[in-house]
Amino acid sequence: MTSEAVVTTRGLTKRYGSVVAVADLDLEVRKGEIYAFLGRNGAGKTTTIRMILGLIRPDAGEVRVFGPTADSAHPEWLRRVGSLVETATAYPNLTVRENLDLHRRYTGAPARAVPDVIEQLGLAPVADRRAGQLSLGNKQRLSLARALVHAPALLVLDEPANALDPAGIVEIRQLLRSLADGHGTTVFVSSHILVEVAHLADRIGIVHAGRLIEELDREALIAAARTFSAEQLTDQQRADALLGLELERYFLARTDEGPR
Amino acid sequence: MLATAFTGELTKLRRTIAPWVTLGSLMTGPLFLALFMWIIRDPQRAAEFGLLGTKAALSGIEPTWSSFAGFLTLIVGLGGTLLLAFVAAYVFGREYSEGTAKIMLTLPIPRPSFVVAKLAVAAVWWLTIVLVVFVEAVLVGLALALPGITGVGVVSLLGNLLLVAGISYLLAPAVALVTVWTRGYLAPVGFALGMLLLGNVVGHTGWAPWFPWSIVPILVGSVGDPVDTLPSGSLLILAITFAGGIVATIQVLQNADNTQ
Repeated sequence: MTSEAVVTTRGLTKRYGSVVAVADLDLEVRKGEIYAFLGRNGAGKTTTIRMILGLIRPDAGEVRVFGPTADSAHPEWLRRVGSLVETATAYPNLTVRENLDLHRRYTGAPARAVPDVIEQLGLAPVADRRAGQLSLGNKQRLSLARALVHAPALLVLDEPANALDPAGIVEIRQLLRSLADGHGTTVFVSSHILVEVAHLADRIGIVHAGRLIEELDREALIAAARTFSAEQLTDQQRADALLGLELERYFLARTDEGPR
Repeated sequence: MLATAFTGELTKLRRTIAPWVTLGSLMTGPLFLALFMWIIRDPQRAAEFGLLGTKAALSGIEPTWSSFAGFLTLIVGLGGTLLLAFVAAYVFGREYSEGTAKIMLTLPIPRPSFVVAKLAVAAVWWLTIVLVVFVEAVLVGLALALPGITGVGVVSLLGNLLLVAGISYLLAPAVALVTVWTRGYLAPVGFALGMLLLGNVVGHTGWAPWFPWSIVPILVGSVGDPVDTLPSGSLLILAITFAGGIVATIQVLQNADNTQ
C-alpha cells in the first residue's frame, strides 16, 4: 500500500435547513486500501458519499478525487470510479446483461467486461432476466456488477451488503478484498454493521451526527472492541454475541453447496 | 459523448410500453374523425347513431379531405402538445421514479449531453408518431374516398402536421425543466395541461402571439380562424422558450442536489 491519497475531503460540510448532515469532515482514503465509513443510520454516511460523487453540492469544503477537485461539470474522472449509492437500482425493462452493457458503453469498457462481471458476481443464472423481476439480493449484485464493469480504480459503495444473505455478504467481502489486494483498487465503503467492516476494512472512520469522531485501523478497532467487551459486557451479553456468530456459521455451512 | 448518450437513451426505451401508448393515443384521432365523417355522410345513419350522430353533426366536420385535414391538424396541435409533454416527462422523469438518476449523474458523460440526448429522443419519438398518424390519415382518407384528396392536399397536410408538431416540440424543454425540477411525472403533465388551458384563454386576447402556449392554438384555429403565418415576434418567443428551457434544465441537473 502506498500513501497516495485517492479521495480527500477538507472541511466538507452539508446542511439541510437547521440540520447539519455532515460537519467539517476531513478524510483521506489512500490508494489500494479499503476504508470503511462506519456510522448509525442518519450519521451522514450517504450524504458524504453523494458529495464525493458529485450528486450533492457541499455548503463548504471540497472533495478531491485522484488529485484535482471532483467537478461534476467535467466528469471524466468518473470513468475511474465505480459506485453504488444507497438502494440498488437498474433500468427495470432491461435485462441484467443489457443494464451492464449500457453502463459498459457509457464508461468505454471493452465488450468482454460484461460476461466477466456477470460471472464474477454470480449473475449468470439471471443474466437474461429483466432487472425489474430480480430479487432484492440479485438487484444488489447487479448494482455491484455495474460498479465493477469498467474496472474502476476507486469503488465508492454505500451499504453494499444491503439485501444480501450471509453467504452473499461473505462473497462480496472476498471480492472487495481481492480487488484491493490483487488490482490495487481503492475501496471506500459505508456501513452500519461493525462486524462487516471489521472483517473487511484496512482503516475505519467512525462518523456520528455528521462528524468524524474516530479513525483507526482494523487491529486497533478489534483491540478496542475486545477491551470494551472485557470491561463493559456481561457474560450473558458476550454469550449472546457469540451465539449470533455461531448461528451465522451454521447457516453458511448448511447452505454452502445449495442453490442460490 | 453525445452519440453515446443518445444511443443509451434509445436503449433505455427497449420493451417499454410508453411509446406504444402514445402512438395508440394519437392514432385514435384519424379513426374518430373517420367515424364522424362516415356517420354524417348519411343523415339516416346519423339519426340511427343517436347522441353520437348528433355530436358528429354538431362538430362542424364535413366529409371532405380539407375538413378531415384541418381537424387532424387541430388534434395533433392540441392533443399532441399534451402527448409530447408526456413524452418529455417520461424520458426525464423515469430517471427519478425508477431511482436511476443517481446512476446517470455519476457517469463520465457531461450532464448537458443527457439533456440534449433525451430531448433528441423525444424529438425522434414525437416525429415517428406524427408520421405514422399522417400515413394512417392518408389511408383513412383513401378508404373513405374523401372528396378533395389529392397529392397537393396530402402534401399540405404533411406540411401542416410537421409545422404544428415542430412548434409543439419547441415547448418540450419547458416540460423537461419542470420534470427535473420536481423529479416526477405528475407536475410536468399538470403543467402542460395548465399551459394548454391558459394558452386557449390567452388565445382569445390580443396577447396570443406573445404567449408560447397560445401560438399552436392560433395556428391550428382552436381560438379563431387558423393563420397561415406567424408573426416574427411569435417565432422569437418560441425560440427563447426552447433555448431557455434547455439552458435551465441543464442548470438544474448540474446544480441541484440529487438526494433520491
